Amino acid sequence: MATDSAGTRTEAGLEGIRDGIAQGRFPAHVFNDREIFDTEQRRVFSKAWCFLAHESEIPNRGDYVTRYIADNNLIVARAESGEIHASLNMCRHRGNMMCKSEMGNASHFRCSYHGWVYKNSGELVGVPYMKEGYGGRIDKRDWGLVKVRTDTYAGLVFGTLDPDAPTLEEYLGGFQFYLDLYLKQGSSGSEVHGPPDHWVTETDWKIAAENFSGDGYHTPVAHQFGFNLGYFASSGSTHSQGWAASIPGKGHGIGLGHTPGFPPFAGFPEELAEEMRSSLSPEQVEVFSQTRTAVGTVFPNLSFLMQPFSIVPGEAGVRFVTMRLYHPIGPGRTEMYSWCLVPKDASDEYKQEAYRAYTLAFAQAGTFEQDDLENWARVTRSAGSTMARNIEFPYVMGMDSTPDPDFPGPGHVVTPYVNDSNFRNLWSRWSEYMTGRV
Amino acid sequence: MAATKPDRDTVLDATEFLYREARALDERRFRDWLDYLSDDVRYEVPLRVTREGQAEWEVSPTSRIFDDDKQTLTLRVERLETDFAWAEQPPSRTRHYVANVVVDPGERDDELRVSSNCLIYRSRGDSIEPNLYSAARTDTIRRVDGRLLLARRYAVLDQSVINGHNLSILL
Ligand code: FES
Ligand SMILES: [Fe+2]
Repeated sequence: MATDSAGTRTEAGLEGIRDGIAQGRFPAHVFNDREIFDTEQRRVFSKAWCFLAHESEIPNRGDYVTRYIADNNLIVARAESGEIHASLNMCRHRGNMMCKSEMGNASHFRCSYHGWVYKNSGELVGVPYMKEGYGGRIDKRDWGLVKVRTDTYAGLVFGTLDPDAPTLEEYLGGFQFYLDLYLKQGSSGSEVHGPPDHWVTETDWKIAAENFSGDGYHTPVAHQFGFNLGYFASSGSTHSQGWAASIPGKGHGIGLGHTPGFPPFAGFPEELAEEMRSSLSPEQVEVFSQTRTAVGTVFPNLSFLMQPFSIVPGEAGVRFVTMRLYHPIGPGRTEMYSWCLVPKDASDEYKQEAYRAYTLAFAQAGTFEQDDLENWARVTRSAGSTMARNIEFPYVMGMDSTPDPDFPGPGHVVTPYVNDSNFRNLWSRWSEYMTGRV
Repeated sequence: MAATKPDRDTVLDATEFLYREARALDERRFRDWLDYLSDDVRYEVPLRVTREGQAEWEVSPTSRIFDDDKQTLTLRVERLETDFAWAEQPPSRTRHYVANVVVDPGERDDELRVSSNCLIYRSRGDSIEPNLYSAARTDTIRRVDGRLLLARRYAVLDQSVINGHNLSILL
């Protein structure tokens, strides 16, 4: 732990934050703080399973994308064997960047500095002047690209920098039940529609992660225009209905909004709804068929939202799914990635419709997205002030609510959907990492 | 098609059309702006991705930041007219600089293909750091009953990672 000391003052502070969450309090400054950011890089992002890519972004041999874990740029490539490998995007000779593009296709990477050549799986295969220069002092097996441990779930590729991290399955801890709603639409699963929207914002990643872990409370106000112009299936008065589900001790959470009288699987094409009825478990069907909005976060920084949307007020419209990655690049500064997931099996027509709905509502120019980002940027700015260092926020909503015994899904599930329980679980997990307990 | 090169008057008309249309946006006269659009307008801003020089595409053939028609553009304007379009409350100050206008014959006799560079300066609140958006626009401008209307806009941004917490403005 010597290299990972956060300083005595900060250690005490972090312990205090952890204690506060149990009592429903969380300090404002964590949302825009240099020390918190630095500690997060070492203690959260260097240890957790972090989302890298969706398999459908790299469908063919040689396809790659470049992504980050903390401040490490990684190449995520499908090797000639079909397996997916993640390697640090850094030449082992002097550290040049191997891939300078966001995506591409290559069986090998040749360094543009002195010409070392690696397979896309990371093995070093070519060293110029091997005999004349190195005279046997270099064993290629020792100098491959630095590998990052990966694992996948239903098309999601995750990586972790911690060799001792538990398995991905254990890490997800049952949250898969809910993720299937986004990832198993139809019997062949989901795919990305195209490359992600990508933008940089003056927002702390935690505000976004919290919002997507089930903030049904903000919707009637932040997205009031949607209710005002009639673009919402729910109304201001019914919007709070539904469930907040979280996986205790894991940090993952989802809000499941429910609108009374909404037909089962509304907004899905009929064939797709049929497929889901047979390919998902009866418990999943029971939960998903009555879900209007599902907004969830996989700890720490991967989020999803599924919602029906129609440009004709009052109609169920079409379901779309957005997948988010909040990549922290500084205190109060985040690189946003946003994908649209579509059911692989659906007709091209439905995929197009779903993508258009996503674009209009939740892409970076989306009518809903715009207002979220405006709010989050203001929260971030406020959180950076000197007075904010001594201010706490209440996380006490639904503190006394008891779990719904009849709910068929796993985790700690409370109703209504408007509730802070998912956030308490999220920040309690975060503080376990921040205090070095994980 | 042996289309002839547009004459000077046509070039001037098309250029002035772009200036007036941009001014409607900058002055936030969004209803006036909708009137500059044909009923079948298509408004697209594709996603740009950083790729190798030899890559098949650099501007995504499938992903769009905007993919609008008259109905959805009207929805965006209706939204701005409510009191709850928080992203533009208070509104951004924008300035569209339209330059390098090149006017060519369009696919139809009543259409022109107009390309231009557009630099948009956007300032919000008391921030001293503006967002700058640089785009290459390819427009189709159509003559209808003696007026010019925008029938298609295809604007490609020059950044692959957009700097700005949202795109609540129009290009
Ligand atoms: S830095 Fe890559 S070969 Fe020298
Ligand atoms: Fe929102």
